[in-house]
Amino acid sequence: MSYGLALIYGVLKIINLANAGFLMLGAYVTWWLFTSFHIHPLLAPLAIVPAFFLIGWALERTLVRRVLGAEPIISLLLLFGVWLVLQNLAYVIWTGDTRSIETPFVEATVNWGGLQLAVPRLYVFVMGALVLLVLQLFLTRTYLGRAIRATAQDRDAARLVGIDVDRVMGIAFGIGIALAGFGGSLLSLLFSFTPDFGRALSLKSFCIVVLGGLDSIVGVAFGSIALALAEAFGVRYMPASLQNLISFVVLVVVLIALPKGIAGTLKALRRG
Amino acid sequence: MLLAALIALPFVAVDQEYAVEMLFLIFLYGAMATAWNLLGGLAGQISFGHAAFLGIGAYATTVLLAKGTPLAVAVVVSALLAGAYSLLIGVPAFRLRGPYFSIATIGIGEATRLIALNWDSLTGGASGLTLASAPPLRTQYFAALLLLVAAVGIAAWIKASRFGYALAAVRQDTDAAETLGVATTFAKTQALFISACILGVAGSVYAEHYLFISPDSVFGFSTSIAFVIMPIIGGLGTVAGPLIGAVVYTFIREQFAATLGNADLLAFGVLLIAIVVFEPKGILGIVDRIRRAGAPRAPAAPRPAENADG
Amino acid sequence: MADVVLAGEGLGKRFGGLVAVRDVDVDFERGEICGLIGPNGAGKSTLFRLIAGIQRPTTGQVRLNGRVLTGRPAHDVCVAGIAATHQIVRPFRELSVIENVMIGAFFGHRPRPHGPRAAREAALEALAVCELAERAESPASALNLAGQKRLEIARALATRPEVLLLDEVLAGLNPTETDQTLHLVRTIRDRGTTIVMVEHNLRAVRGVCSRIVVLVEGRKIVEGDPERVLADERVIAAYLGTAAHA
Repeated sequence: MSYGLALIYGVLKIINLANAGFLMLGAYVTWWLFTSFHIHPLLAPLAIVPAFFLIGWALERTLVRRVLGAEPIISLLLLFGVWLVLQNLAYVIWTGDTRSIETPFVEATVNWGGLQLAVPRLYVFVMGALVLLVLQLFLTRTYLGRAIRATAQDRDAARLVGIDVDRVMGIAFGIGIALAGFGGSLLSLLFSFTPDFGRALSLKSFCIVVLGGLDSIVGVAFGSIALALAEAFGVRYMPASLQNLISFVVLVVVLIALPKGIAGTLKALRRG
Repeated sequence: MLLAALIALPFVAVDQEYAVEMLFLIFLYGAMATAWNLLGGLAGQISFGHAAFLGIGAYATTVLLAKGTPLAVAVVVSALLAGAYSLLIGVPAFRLRGPYFSIATIGIGEATRLIALNWDSLTGGASGLTLASAPPLRTQYFAALLLLVAAVGIAAWIKASRFGYALAAVRQDTDAAETLGVATTFAKTQALFISACILGVAGSVYAEHYLFISPDSVFGFSTSIAFVIMPIIGGLGTVAGPLIGAVVYTFIREQFAATLGNADLLAFGVLLIAIVVFEPKGILGIVDRIRRAGAPRAPAAPRPAENADG
Repeated sequence: MADVVLAGEGLGKRFGGLVAVRDVDVDFERGEICGLIGPNGAGKSTLFRLIAGIQRPTTGQVRLNGRVLTGRPAHDVCVAGIAATHQIVRPFRELSVIENVMIGAFFGHRPRPHGPRAAREAALEALAVCELAERAESPASALNLAGQKRLEIARALATRPEVLLLDEVLAGLNPTETDQTLHLVRTIRDRGTTIVMVEHNLRAVRGVCSRIVVLVEGRKIVEGDPERVLADERVIAAYLGTAAHA
């Protein structure tokens, strides 16, 4: 059932370090909404997704846009700065204590063909798969989705074919951040969290991207599953504290053996 | 000049142990920031995991000293171990470019911390290791100063040398550099190795000063972050930048240490964003702008708006 | 017997299902200026990249002075003596003009200058040939397109190449700049470097090249004297058929 978790990581497809921050923030806001206003965590995304979208969009318009022309290092550092701010803001506001969400929903299990399945995990898995699917459809079937992909490939060329690049960038960023927040909200159902939350997960996300290749959501799904499988095996044989290492070891091995990532290598092989 | 003053200081300011301590920290951080800057600033490969090398140096020194190794030997071994580790992780890491490399370094730093955390027999796990006694503060002061001078010297020498040009080319455009004959991966590896060795020595100094090391303190992510922040504040890729950054960093840390626990990192995050957006070249960049604005007669760099006849 | 400095034997390149270059044999003689032309999509740029070592051929070999260079990393190819300029200029933007060229001087074909001062002199020499010496201290980003193209050439020239590959170096230049660049090309050849130019500007090619190789759909269809080649029916058909300019 770690497939579900892996799919969530996949959804995030992190290149943007700040995503980790928003992921964590998503978790915290969900918790805050729950404890302060008694809003059920399943409903929290209804507030989180639009709010985060706006934040992401605003972020792009004000800060990210200014550094687009400079060396890529600069935008990396900018987003890193944003993440630093978010993480430490969280420390300041909510302290480093571990938080978790406790409702009957979170504890529930369901019996299915003899297996005890945790309801939250099922839920997360389903939602994760749904989101991936919707995202894939959006990116391939809608104009906006294709515009985003075009802009990601070549900004100038996109402008030349009439795409309003400024608007697209804002929207794409907004979507990315909204997804991160949503992911965080989902994950809050499964784990307890501290402000450090985003970091370990962003590493896994990154592993997934390297494993699955950057270009396709299918690749990401593939990478997620691969990582989830690796972790599932790891759980059996390794002490708990080393589990985070698994993704890292896999990453290193893959990088040494297959510089293009698994999907990239498969593509190259298929081409002959 | 300045150097002479710094050398004389501990003898003169006999009662000002606080000042000596502060300067010690500045020297140490300055050396570490300078080391990071070799790879991050000169070569343009931003690493968020450099604490790994500090940690290896610190642990190596502590373990060896506990076994009775003379200090000098321990320091050299620490440096070499850190360097060896850098070569090991360099192989997979340098297959990645730009942001992917940087994200991978987060993982490397984190993984190293986890290894240290779990390798109880060697590292004492979460409870860390302690050293019996520290050399007098004055000795430490000079050790740190020496390290700083060495690090800065190395950085300045590299920057003016052929190797420095290679790194600059790598930072600007790795592929174009390749077509001009620069063996880019090798250059990056060399920069990484040197920075790791310096950090290894810094680890020794660190261990001797704090007398207690743990995976979270030396391998921690916030330590890695510090290495990134300092050169950016001062001026990424310059020789003096990391030093200026170290001064700023030490002061801000001291100011905030008493208040809300993580407020200092918060301040750095904000500062980082401000710098990146307004003056990516850091404080030295601001200084440069002021200087150019105040000297209209000096040959200003032609602005790209002029369609100069190339 | 011609003195062949650079040879491509049976070169081929596939991208998945697409064959960009198909079984091309091409010899470049020492001291010539050879033009490589063909309609859009003919595979000129791909062939260029195969010879320059930027891309690895699917089949075939590249030899410099008889020595096999196929598949070696780009920096080895440069050190061996082949330098290439890029179709889209890639100057080191934050470095000065002379620093850009110094990098070429430092890392090119041996013997290399010892130390920054020697490299600087070598760089100045290359800049002088390219008539950029007065702009030596300007940031590379301050030059206009023609200037940046000359910088690109100066940088490659500083690597002391035996063969200089120019990829559409005339693209985007006005007639005056074009003539200046052609003059530069001749000067470089006179100083002892063999030159291969991928070009769309056929008038220029006719004027400066001693030999032309024509590529159509990945194959070499004809090569030889410029006048003869450009009058060849197959070449005319290839160009007019795909509505290219002449």
